[in-house]
Amino acid sequence: MDFTLSNEQRSWQMAARKFADEEIRPISLERDTISTPRETWDWDIIKKGSKLGFRTMAVPKEWGGQGTDFVTQALVMTELAKADSAISKAFSQNWKWSHLISASCTEEQKRRFLPGFVADDTWVLGKGITEPSAGSDNRMPQDDPKTGIKLRGERKGDEWILNGEKAFIANAPVGKLFFIDVRTDMTVPPKQGTTLFLVPSDTPGFRIGKVFNKSGWRFYQNGEMIFENARVPHANVVGEVGGAIKKAGGSGGDTTGGDLFGDLELAANALGICDDACSTALKFAETHKQGGQPLWAQQNVQLQINKMFMLTEALRSFVMRVAWEHDMKIHSANAGLAMNYSCDVGQEVTELYMEVRGADGCHMDHHTDKILRDAFIWNHLAGDSVSRMKVAKRLAA
Amino acid sequence: MYSLQLSPEQLEIRDTIRDFVTREIKPAVLKADRLDQCDRTLLVDLLDQASQMGLRSLALSEDRGGAGADALTSCIVTEELAAGDADIAAVLSASSRLAHVLFDQCTNDAQRDAFLPKFLEGDRYHLAFAGREPGSDSRLGVNYHRPAATNIVVKTTAAKSGNDWIINGVKDCVANAPIAGLFAVLVQIPGRPSPSVLLVSADAPGVGVKAHDKPWQHGVCGEVAFKDCKVPGGNLLGDDAAAILAEAAAPGRGIPLAQALNLGVGRAAYEAALDYAHLRVQGGRPLIEHQAIGIKLGEMAIKLEIARAAIWQAAWAFDHPEAVADRSLADLPLSTFAQVFTSEAVMKTAKDAAEIFGAMGVMRDMPLAKYVHDARVCMHSGDGNTDARLRVAEEIAGYRRADTRAMALAGE
Repeated sequence: MDFTLSNEQRSWQMAARKFADEEIRPISLERDTISTPRETWDWDIIKKGSKLGFRTMAVPKEWGGQGTDFVTQALVMTELAKADSAISKAFSQNWKWSHLISASCTEEQKRRFLPGFVADDTWVLGKGITEPSAGSDNRMPQDDPKTGIKLRGERKGDEWILNGEKAFIANAPVGKLFFIDVRTDMTVPPKQGTTLFLVPSDTPGFRIGKVFNKSGWRFYQNGEMIFENARVPHANVVGEVGGAIKKAGGSGGDTTGGDLFGDLELAANALGICDDACSTALKFAETHKQGGQPLWAQQNVQLQINKMFMLTEALRSFVMRVAWEHDMKIHSANAGLAMNYSCDVGQEVTELYMEVRGADGCHMDHHTDKILRDAFIWNHLAGDSVSRMKVAKRLAA
Repeated sequence: MYSLQLSPEQLEIRDTIRDFVTREIKPAVLKADRLDQCDRTLLVDLLDQASQMGLRSLALSEDRGGAGADALTSCIVTEELAAGDADIAAVLSASSRLAHVLFDQCTNDAQRDAFLPKFLEGDRYHLAFAGREPGSDSRLGVNYHRPAATNIVVKTTAAKSGNDWIINGVKDCVANAPIAGLFAVLVQIPGRPSPSVLLVSADAPGVGVKAHDKPWQHGVCGEVAFKDCKVPGGNLLGDDAAAILAEAAAPGRGIPLAQALNLGVGRAAYEAALDYAHLRVQGGRPLIEHQAIGIKLGEMAIKLEIARAAIWQAAWAFDHPEAVADRSLADLPLSTFAQVFTSEAVMKTAKDAAEIFGAMGVMRDMPLAKYVHDARVCMHSGDGNTDARLRVAEEIAGYRRADTRAMALAGE
């Protein structure tokens, strides 16, 4: 057991900390305040971060990326999330799908898309799975052909014609290239009848609808995708026709492609929120007085802060172990468990932070309110019953 | 005799309000643009309607033009209103409670002649108690089980000038401030041993109200500044008014209205989740047929009903001091018990209800995000649950403190 970081890992961590402190934190609350969901995104911070490698760091070196390992990626996500969870996610969402490109795309597809992605500071990636009537059904696919996604693809010569819609898709309003799950055979269960496509944002017949008005993660945008006879070349099929759910790691087999990285990603990001809550709580308890004494002097505050740090450090151990296991290509359900755990810990730690701070009469500090809302996002995507049962199935697999 | 058999009147008013909430409040409140917590403007027309139904003057005695509702009835009404909208419930319960305290308990005939007709006639004439001052600290915290290290001083002063009082000072987090027609203001008159209360009409010269934009409090609230504000000498309430207002504001054995409001928020979240669990089909069957969802809904139902029992018991104890005197009910701060249990139960309920809605549960313009936010406000408004537990601990330890009233007033 050696917990020492390499010099390279350490230097990425320091670079991320500096960028988070100097660039992200100063704009965090201001972006959170913007009430129009379409306007919360800021290209300037994306460009700045991109120039430092934070957009492309999961792309292999031979394709022009930085080829960082999972431990480094976990460290960077945590550091960025400590300043703003949503902005950290806006960067790491690109890593998630760069992993998928590396794991699943052909050399020809990589040649068509990766150099453009690497060169363009404003090129971000996304993946469309969820639909208005298919949320949990996609995450735990059923055998009934009538269930699951309805976005249809029909082959016409060298092209596929797509019709339907996606909802809540991360980066939809700002992305240049998307992976899209499409039903190409409605007569068989979704597991056999779903195909993964690469869909550039300028595809004819494809457009973005509304931008969702989330209560947390305001910066990070989720949008509606609308396909009206959208035409996608057959060359954009990822893997085999009918192979999308297998490919994206629906269960068991780990490619460390999108899905399993996604688990580590959420856990590492939540860790950043917890770090933020812990350090702010400690400072607050030392500098604020009640009844003439620092809050820190009170037993209940000591107990609350103890619990915040205890949970946060336990989460850190879990996150770093999962990252290391990914690097060692050790396959287990740990990433999923860490993700589920990060939902519980993120909420408990931010709620304890709020206890430590308390409301000042009828006033609540904006930063406290924000990290609570951000941490609550995990409730529906990392700690809900479906994600927990999915992980349980991996344990039994 | 301790009995929670509701009277025909109580059952009727519950049904009436439930119907009003379904027909009028919910359709107006659950609109996407209105749900966004950045824009929670008060629904004034609905408040007018509620006032015409008698809800603004609910607790005021029948002799004086109200409905004379007791604590239990007031709690039932507040829960029903809050299941529609926590802000509407907060505004009405504050006015109704103050109407009873001020006009039934603290004013003389001349004061009632001056203000009661205005209150009864004006659907938009709300009442506010201006007690808390900026930076005042009502927490027990470090003073747990020891005499308060700090003296709570009321900095707002009233000085006699001829027949008038001249008020100077600032109050903060005053519930109903932006819509109040009349303020009861806690002031210190130089030379007097304890604070006094003055009635101040909102249109008196020298009153400045600044509404808070996004308060961590339900309803509306704001800062009220008094600058050489002149009010007639007759507006001074009797010497016991500050004590009576403190008693009404004290959390321990007061009317659990805030708890009933909190429960209404939880019920709204639960009912929304229950409806949705019937409608939404995933995994080939309605959500409610899945164990994972069944466990959550069952837990919500259990928690909310126990919270209601705690609230009703506290309300009953308030209405029937004899039930405590003859040891039918424990002589304990039952309203505080209800506060701690209800706020934690409702927080968990709102979060689980939101989870059942999936991504819709975290959208700012959908109902669940509102319920989660409202539940958080209840968890952390006032002095919070840690402080509440410490107050209970002092009581069960038999620790007597002299400054309870002052602390309650500072927090109100």
